[in-house]
Amino acid sequence: MAKPQVIIRMGSHAEKEYLEKTIKFFDGLILGANLVEATPGATASLLIKFGGKRLGVPFYLDPMTYAYGMYVDPDRRLRSDLDWIKSEQKTKRGIRRLFKRSYRNLAESLGGIFEDALDRKAAITPSDFTNQAKAADFCESVVNYQVERLARVFQQDPEYKSFTAELPAPSAVFAPYFYIVPNDQEDWTRLNLRLARLTAELGSGLPVHAVVVADKEFLEDADIIDSLAEELPKTGVQGVWFWFSRFDEHRAVASSLIALRSLVEKISGAGLSVFSMHGGYFSLALSKFGLTGTSHGVGYGEQKDVMPVIGQSTPTVRYHLPEIHKRVGVAEVIRCFQPLGITTPQEFYDGVCNCTICKGVVNKDLDDFEAFGDMHYSTPKSKRLAQTPAAAKRCRFHFLLSRLRERDGVASATRDDIVKQLRAAKKKWGEFNWIEDSCGHLDEWESALA
Amino acid sequence: MTHPRWEYLLSRPVAAYFRRKGFCWQVPEMQFYEHRIDLYAFSRVYDLTLAVELKLHRWRYALKQALLYQLCSDLVYIALPAARVKSVHKAMLAEHGVGLVSVDANMRCHQVIPARASNAMRPRYRRKYIRLVKGAQ
Repeated sequence: MAKPQVIIRMGSHAEKEYLEKTIKFFDGLILGANLVEATPGATASLLIKFGGKRLGVPFYLDPMTYAYGMYVDPDRRLRSDLDWIKSEQKTKRGIRRLFKRSYRNLAESLGGIFEDALDRKAAITPSDFTNQAKAADFCESVVNYQVERLARVFQQDPEYKSFTAELPAPSAVFAPYFYIVPNDQEDWTRLNLRLARLTAELGSGLPVHAVVVADKEFLEDADIIDSLAEELPKTGVQGVWFWFSRFDEHRAVASSLIALRSLVEKISGAGLSVFSMHGGYFSLALSKFGLTGTSHGVGYGEQKDVMPVIGQSTPTVRYHLPEIHKRVGVAEVIRCFQPLGITTPQEFYDGVCNCTICKGVVNKDLDDFEAFGDMHYSTPKSKRLAQTPAAAKRCRFHFLLSRLRERDGVASATRDDIVKQLRAAKKKWGEFNWIEDSCGHLDEWESALA
Repeated sequence: MTHPRWEYLLSRPVAAYFRRKGFCWQVPEMQFYEHRIDLYAFSRVYDLTLAVELKLHRWRYALKQALLYQLCSDLVYIALPAARVKSVHKAMLAEHGVGLVSVDANMRCHQVIPARASNAMRPRYRRKYIRLVKGAQ
């Protein structure tokens, strides 16, 4: 049985430590263009380390072209002002709201329509692509960016020029893509399909993948889904990545999950590789219906809104409870020990998790599990306790190891096995009042996979 | 969303009620992992700890939190306005050993269900929280 791929998305260089220890066990690495532009030298070096001859980890560079398109803000207002890629910056004239350096650099690297959008401070729209030649140039610049941008970092430096040849080529290149605006789905879908076709026609020598990014409501529109399933294979791309904003596998109802399953079946049935851009265990289970793989971050990231919510406090990294495939508060897990009859480390390994991290943390005493939730005052002025960096690190490493097990478990299981495991997990964990809300997805997943 | 001011109104009569019951050492809003225990108290006389979850409604949500607080407290109570008490599934609370206090319109408290000593309590937490309560006095 084919093993689903898990491709890790690196969000920042602070995650390097996790990747250094685990990336060789995963199936690929995906880098966002904003990270490349913010830290080109460090990112290029990292890529030689991970993607070079020794480890040979497949990599993808997400050009993040959607950042220059229209978006829906957290108040559900349609915006074309590109404000979300701006930040407050200190200038000689005081604090001003300007484009973030990484996105400004990215627009400069991509050129043409992207720079125009920044100059006029307004999003790219389908009307920018009326000229066919201009649209083809646009696609070419996005492909060239993915293939050449990191090599340019070394080429520009005489001392490191010789390293250029060591840089791996991406496993596939993404066609430019934009968020499919909810009230104008047809136009934006058509534009994305056209850009995918133009990119495939360039014949870059690398597989071309399309990205479909839309609101979760998109999944409920059977007509547009059918049309996408019919038209996408005709573009000539070899793969497609789906990203549904506000769609969370753990909160989605069975009808949405079934719609996603159906979409995966149709498109993979037409011979395309299908990936989930921000998915978790449910996406892995969809490999039984044709999904090739999923990507997510080091600290979970199994769901992502197109428009990030800014200004939130750092969330606590919770413990990934392997059997329910979901993160849960440390107190909630500890509260289960007594009713489950778990009193020793060995009983914990048998009943909860026996990954290397858990065996290291829960070593002599069951109380050691508390280390996953250690709290401290992060600054002398803090009024509220926050998770310690060491505790967050334990949770992240445990999550990464659990994800590898989940991937391998899905590969060796049948669809029926997965459904039975979900049912058993619901029976075991869902009976506890303090955790039952965290188990609702198990029923929905079971319905969608059965 | 409920304005926190209204839940805060319950805290004074509930704190006074448990003070009269011997739980004189008290700390409001004691943090327990990601949660905040509305009132955490210790009785030197009985050598017992107490956690109280105040709610204006949503008693089921209060029960979930109360069950977690059984990890760090001998006795756990939910306190609700008297008008909301009738909708509570009292047998469910009793089954889990969670007590119930009703706060009437005159801000007087009445015990509806007594709490039972928690069998999920972890001594390490108990020691830690008694230390914190003592330190706060």
